[in-house]
Amino acid sequence: MAKNDKLLFIIPAYNEEENILKVVNTINNYKKKSQQKYDLIVINDGSSDNTERILTENRIPHIRLIHNLGIGGAVQTGYRYALENDYDIAIQYDGDGQHDIQYAEKIIAPILNGEADMVIGSRFIDKNSNSFKSSFVRRIGIKLISFVIKFKTNKMIYDTTSGFRAINKKVMETFVDDYPIEYPEPISTVHALQKNYKVKEVPVEMHERKGGKSSITSWKSIYYMINVILSILIVERKCNK
Amino acid sequence: MTLNLRIDLLIFSILLLLLIFKFMKDKKIPVKYALVWIFASAILLFVSLFPKFLGHIASLIGFEVLVNLVIAILLVLLLYITLVLTIIVSKQQKKITILIQEVSLLKGEQNNDKKS
Repeated sequence: MAKNDKLLFIIPAYNEEENILKVVNTINNYKKKSQQKYDLIVINDGSSDNTERILTENRIPHIRLIHNLGIGGAVQTGYRYALENDYDIAIQYDGDGQHDIQYAEKIIAPILNGEADMVIGSRFIDKNSNSFKSSFVRRIGIKLISFVIKFKTNKMIYDTTSGFRAINKKVMETFVDDYPIEYPEPISTVHALQKNYKVKEVPVEMHERKGGKSSITSWKSIYYMINVILSILIVERKCNK
Repeated sequence: MTLNLRIDLLIFSILLLLLIFKFMKDKKIPVKYALVWIFASAILLFVSLFPKFLGHIASLIGFEVLVNLVIAILLVLLLYITLVLTIIVSKQQKKITILIQEVSLLKGEQNNDKKS
């Protein structure tokens, strides 16, 4: 069955005029070499720069959100699109060039062979790799969220904020129904765990951002931590599929 | 509670009720949301009509001055209304998100059809 599975890259992009074309090109080059067939869709989250023009001029398949929704709302749009067009696996791949396409196959493998429903590309599993692992403060934040997730679900997730991830159809259905709008990565992971989906982490390497700005800036990080921890501890609750 | 304050409160709550009914009539507020306000103004009306009953409650809870209880009731009502409003806003935010997503998907499909 594996070869016939339909795969979709979902690329959320907000004001990524500097990166988006490069990102799409690396995926397209990768597609040519790979045996698996991939499609991609860019979700332009109401960008105010030239992102839309670049997407249209280069005939890149994309959806332009008529209003900015935030990363969660953009990715959820991708899942909606994936379900409507009958994709089996959706891979979230950030539009800022942080992710390394070489790991795409590793990320979908556990889903293809039924080992997992959701796979997270993790920077922290392989301790020996010396690639980009985010700043010190951010790593502490990620560890803290890790601890909270372990406390809540009894499952250790190392790279809680990684946006390089793949999910199967069942999880897509869950996420279309309910997906965190603001800081989706850690919260949606807990959401999947609470629904008894199998979540697996595989080691990946990431690059530093090539341009543009990260969505998480300094003073917002305190709000981010409070928001995420409250969501995990109070909002998410155990339920069956 | 002085008679003056009772009369003030009575007039105020009746005016509030009338205003809400007018808004309902003009279809500015649907009945569903007007109910919250009717409930609030009904409590104020009750307070102004039966201050003795309120006096018992005041001493029971520990208010020394009856007027303070009236203010406290107003405060609680306002908190309740804002809480209800927060819930309504959150629900609408969810609906708007779905709307934006679905409309954007539809528009995207249309564009693709035109190109092909």
